[in-house]
Amino acid sequence: MSHINNQRRQFLKLATAITATVMSCSSMQVMAGILTDENKMDATEQAVFKKMLAIALPTEGTTLVNPATLPVIPTIEGALLAGMPPHIRKGLRQGIYYFNQSAEKAFGKPFSQLSDHDATSFVDQWAASDAAPHRALSMGIKKLTVLAYWAIPTTWAPLNYDGPVSDKWGLKKRGVTPEPQA
Amino acid sequence: MSTNKNELNVLTAADMTAAQLELEADAVIIGSGAGGGINAYELAKAGKKVIVLEAGPYVPSEKFTEMMAVSMATMYEGEGAQSNTDGDITVLQGRCVGGSTVVNAALCFRTPDYYLKKWAKEYGLTNLTPEVMLPYFEKVEKNLGITEVKGHETSVGAEYIKKGMQKLDMPIGLARRNIRDCAITGFCFAGCKTDRKQSMMVTYLPWACNHGAVIYADTKVTRINTSNGKASGVSAEVIDPKTNKVKTRMVVKAPIVVLAAGPTGSPLLLQQSGLANSSGQVGKNFACHPSLSVTAMFDKKLNDFHGATHSLFDDSHTLPEDGGWIQLNAVQDPVEASFMAEPGTGKPYVRYMQNYPNSTRLITLIHDKNVGEVTLENGYKEIRYQVDDEDFEAMKKGLKDNARILFAAGAKYLYLPTSDKQRINAVGEIDSVIDALKNEPARYRYTSFHPQGTCRMGADKSKTVVNPYGETHDVKKLYVVDASLLPTSIGYNPSETVYALASYIADHINEANPS
Repeated sequence: MSHINNQRRQFLKLATAITATVMSCSSMQVMAGILTDENKMDATEQAVFKKMLAIALPTEGTTLVNPATLPVIPTIEGALLAGMPPHIRKGLRQGIYYFNQSAEKAFGKPFSQLSDHDATSFVDQWAASDAAPHRALSMGIKKLTVLAYWAIPTTWAPLNYDGPVSDKWGLKKRGVTPEPQA
Repeated sequence: MSTNKNELNVLTAADMTAAQLELEADAVIIGSGAGGGINAYELAKAGKKVIVLEAGPYVPSEKFTEMMAVSMATMYEGEGAQSNTDGDITVLQGRCVGGSTVVNAALCFRTPDYYLKKWAKEYGLTNLTPEVMLPYFEKVEKNLGITEVKGHETSVGAEYIKKGMQKLDMPIGLARRNIRDCAITGFCFAGCKTDRKQSMMVTYLPWACNHGAVIYADTKVTRINTSNGKASGVSAEVIDPKTNKVKTRMVVKAPIVVLAAGPTGSPLLLQQSGLANSSGQVGKNFACHPSLSVTAMFDKKLNDFHGATHSLFDDSHTLPEDGGWIQLNAVQDPVEASFMAEPGTGKPYVRYMQNYPNSTRLITLIHDKNVGEVTLENGYKEIRYQVDDEDFEAMKKGLKDNARILFAAGAKYLYLPTSDKQRINAVGEIDSVIDALKNEPARYRYTSFHPQGTCRMGADKSKTVVNPYGETHDVKKLYVVDASLLPTSIGYNPSETVYALASYIADHINEANPS
């Protein structure tokens, strides 16, 4: 029993670490530092993000920009992963592997090899799961993917979003406010 | 030494040539945000030689991109990825010259008398009476141009939400902001490119430089030094941002050390230095005002892209006995909108984003209990914090109010910021959907803009870190002047509280240490 409890504790510890790692990458941590070899995506990570991109943004028949025409995966790698501290990067890789492999139990194949329909079901099932790590991974990996897409300014035009405006509007800098005088 | 150039005197890693640097000053200030900037000015103006050390970079406003993604990476702590241990609350703080004042929404509230009285009664802060604090609020309001949002500065979304609040006979609070001549770009969180927001970078810091203060950016303090129970200066490293390697090791000798590294940075530095923790409270009592943003979808385009970042609020339930939440409108760019709702994977998500011009959002922010802790684990920062069950119930009540306002404003349906799809289609569904929410980790998309409380201020040295005048109980001449001080969460944006407290403490530093 103590062995089982110990294993459970270890799993929970790992799950918590994975949860924290993926979720903590969920903000707009883009345009970061130099991409080192250690921080580059491996083949499994590339495949997971490509599948997620394909199912998260099925733009066919819409005015949205086709993600296949944009450098979304390089943005994830060059901006989100570059400069990531080693312990965070390691935890992220573990999380992505765990996510990919876990699809086998319900769908018979790793996430990256599922049909788009099954991959979509897997992501939505995990988003609603009772297990916090499942929710975190589903939400976190999808978030990283869509965030990298929408961080590319050419995706904004179909939304009529005009982006930066100060230069466009010809706004003058106000500069430093004068020091108060006694 | 007064220059009246009215410009920043900043040195960065690029300016460093020596491997070792020894400096002397009357006061060294760690951090250049609200507390650091104000103390830099007040101390320098009083004749002290002041050195300010800022761990983050110097990013002049002409380099601001008005793109959140880029701003997060360059001007936010942890490149915008700082979070609690569970990873479900993003804790946003500025990390640049000017600190959070460069990237906050500029929203200002005076500290409610309720809290000043509570702090007096429960923490012995009998010195911080409403009467004593009033001139400090007035002073910072004047210096930072804190005024109510003007009619033309509002946003489209705010106007819809206002109509909803009016229909429900709710009081409408007009945002007070430290902004002059707002250009209504809506890019407060990305930094104000044209210097309208009165951040420390365009106010107190250059004013401090008028009186001889020097700011070192890219400079991370590694230790606060002491001698005979008194602060004696700091050790620091100037980190080259291009290589992330130490370029210069710096020692600053100074008889006054002012700690303003923020509610996560300040306690960690005290812990690293092994100082000021006889109470065991350094890093404890972390609170952060968790917030959730409800996305409202309309049947017409609002194009709620620009305008005041926050225009209005409802604070009729903000004090704890009234519920403990506040509602705030906010404009939102598509990058933020892209992950603030979960409509379902694939085509539902694409439809949601196609309808982004039809959306606006209303934020519910809660007063929370000080149940968290900031600590170092294996050399890395940990923010251990989970939303308390009672606080979550307050959040649910706030979300119900939020949803009612949005439907009254004309919304056709709403998305809650959850991990799975949680859509409210009509007023009649509000209670059932929100009542079903459970307080679970990784279930919600929380954001915190207001970490606080980790170096609690109070009279009892066995229960607090800092005395009623900002000096640590244990180490003389070591002062804390950031939001770490707050003895309790205050439920409102704490920036004006920090501005006022920092000014108050600066006066005491000057009185206790005449130049």
